[in-house]
Amino acid sequence: MKRNLFLVLSLAVLLLVPLFVLDSFTRHLFILAFIYAIIASNWDISLGYCGVFNFGHMTFFATGVYTTAVMAKTFGINPWLAIPMGGATAALVALIISAPVARLKGIYVVLVTFAFSQLALQLILSQSQITGGAEGMVRIPSLSIGDYKFTRDYKLGYYYAALGLLTCSTIFLLWLSQSPFGKSLQAVRDNEDYARARGISITRQRVLALVLSAVFTGIAGGFFAVYLRVASPEVLSFSTLSLALSMVLIGGAGTVIGPIIAAFVLIFATEAMAGIRGMEEMRFIIVAVGMIFVLRFTPGGLVKLVSGKRT
Amino acid sequence: MSAIIISTLMSGILLGALYALMASGLSLIWTTLGVFNFAHGALMMIGAFVAWTVSEAMGLGIVAGLIAGLGVTAILGIVIEFLLIRPFYSKPNVLLITTMTTLAAMIILEKSAQMIWGARLKQLPRMIEGDVSVLGAVISAQEALIIVLAPLVLIALWQFTSRTTVGRSLRAVGQNQDAAALIGINVPMTFALAFGLGAALAGLSGILLGSIRFITPGLGAEPLVKAMIVVIFGGLGSLGATAGAAFVIGMTEAFLILVVGLYWTPFLLFVFLIAVLVFRPTGLFGKV
Repeated sequence: MKRNLFLVLSLAVLLLVPLFVLDSFTRHLFILAFIYAIIASNWDISLGYCGVFNFGHMTFFATGVYTTAVMAKTFGINPWLAIPMGGATAALVALIISAPVARLKGIYVVLVTFAFSQLALQLILSQSQITGGAEGMVRIPSLSIGDYKFTRDYKLGYYYAALGLLTCSTIFLLWLSQSPFGKSLQAVRDNEDYARARGISITRQRVLALVLSAVFTGIAGGFFAVYLRVASPEVLSFSTLSLALSMVLIGGAGTVIGPIIAAFVLIFATEAMAGIRGMEEMRFIIVAVGMIFVLRFTPGGLVKLVSGKRT
Repeated sequence: MSAIIISTLMSGILLGALYALMASGLSLIWTTLGVFNFAHGALMMIGAFVAWTVSEAMGLGIVAGLIAGLGVTAILGIVIEFLLIRPFYSKPNVLLITTMTTLAAMIILEKSAQMIWGARLKQLPRMIEGDVSVLGAVISAQEALIIVLAPLVLIALWQFTSRTTVGRSLRAVGQNQDAAALIGINVPMTFALAFGLGAALAGLSGILLGSIRFITPGLGAEPLVKAMIVVIFGGLGSLGATAGAAFVIGMTEAFLILVVGLYWTPFLLFVFLIAVLVFRPTGLFGKV
């Protein structure tokens, strides 16, 4: 209950933020934080809840980014429709990758998912007539309702759209984590043999965990492309991967709120560092070192350290 | 036509030799420590940059560069083992944690290289000049050197791990840590040795790669993925299976490039790999 109160209060505060934050750069950081919060908290379904060593989560995000970019720009489909399409294709990609992953164990899962994301990157770079290659795609149509463009009033529309998306995603994750299905995922993670003995199909739960974790991630990817009006292979870089992964870790794998809070902290921290000269590369080193320290000293993530809960 | 086949064959062997060298370091660390070193590609890149700095920027020649590159990567390997692997051995989810810490090490090395050496392209001088003609196909002497050198290094490594006491202790620790400790093997020392040696192998592959390709901070990223494909395909268990898989992948890649072109090759290679994994989840030769 305390958690739900915290969430409702946070939502109320975030709804009021645009009243006080009027410059578009700070709002831009909030929007980025909302998007990364969706990535990190959904990644946690496979990595934290189900114990699938999935290191290819950014592939789902990139799938959303490029689906929406191609649909909206090349085929001229309305961005409002193109964004959910990103979620659908991301789920499809997750289904494909889950075929080998559900059968593999341990390190092989890490290797296949990691290699998969790198091959997605190769594919994006090589199919430049569709994806724009290393330069990416620019001038993707942006969101508007009627004549009202979402970039107006210092990105006010985008701020609320991103917050709405994060709210939907979080409600979905909270529902999922408390449902019998969510519990069965944790059973698969904690004791495979026992879960199997209770009639849970390990393979099916792993496939479902991956597919469900891709839906909101893909939608967030589509939103990201439309918001920035750019689709770039940068989303599959090691820097982006380590940033998102560190959110899951620092926030605490196996919790819904942890990665969301960590996304806010890390986006604002890294963007603040990016403003300092000579820190553009250094900030990723600092994030990586932070990740190591959390793994070393507070394995449950900082949220568990604060709440003192051991689950 | 036959000239094309032979030159494709040669490039397949070259790729196989490079992949075998890269994957051997990964395999050595995996069999001894049960850790997959994601910083392997970054260590390759560091080896190449250090060799370049010593041999070109300082003008001390390629031999000094080679020694410096191997030395620095070996030391970095030992440091990584000490700081990022050792504290987590007793943890139940050591595999996941070390994946993340070595991934962090990769980021740290790559970004540091970007700050130290910048993004400008660099290339190591060739160790030998000239071209070699093999059955009518011409390859550079440097490429021929790699083709000859890689199997020699692998044989030396194999002899080391099967004949010498120190080498055998690596395998003993890999098979049963407690039993190895009981017969008086210094387990932590062996771990450090395995990681240092694996890192030096990464450095060597990086230096060789840097003599035929440009050196950039991202030098190791694409080879790392290929080495991963090799170890997935061959299974991580033994050196022989890894080397065999490296040549199968190298050859497949060379012929795929000939048939479907450079763009679709990585994709088809991956489809092939998935197909293998669906039917044989521990790799083609693996038995984990």
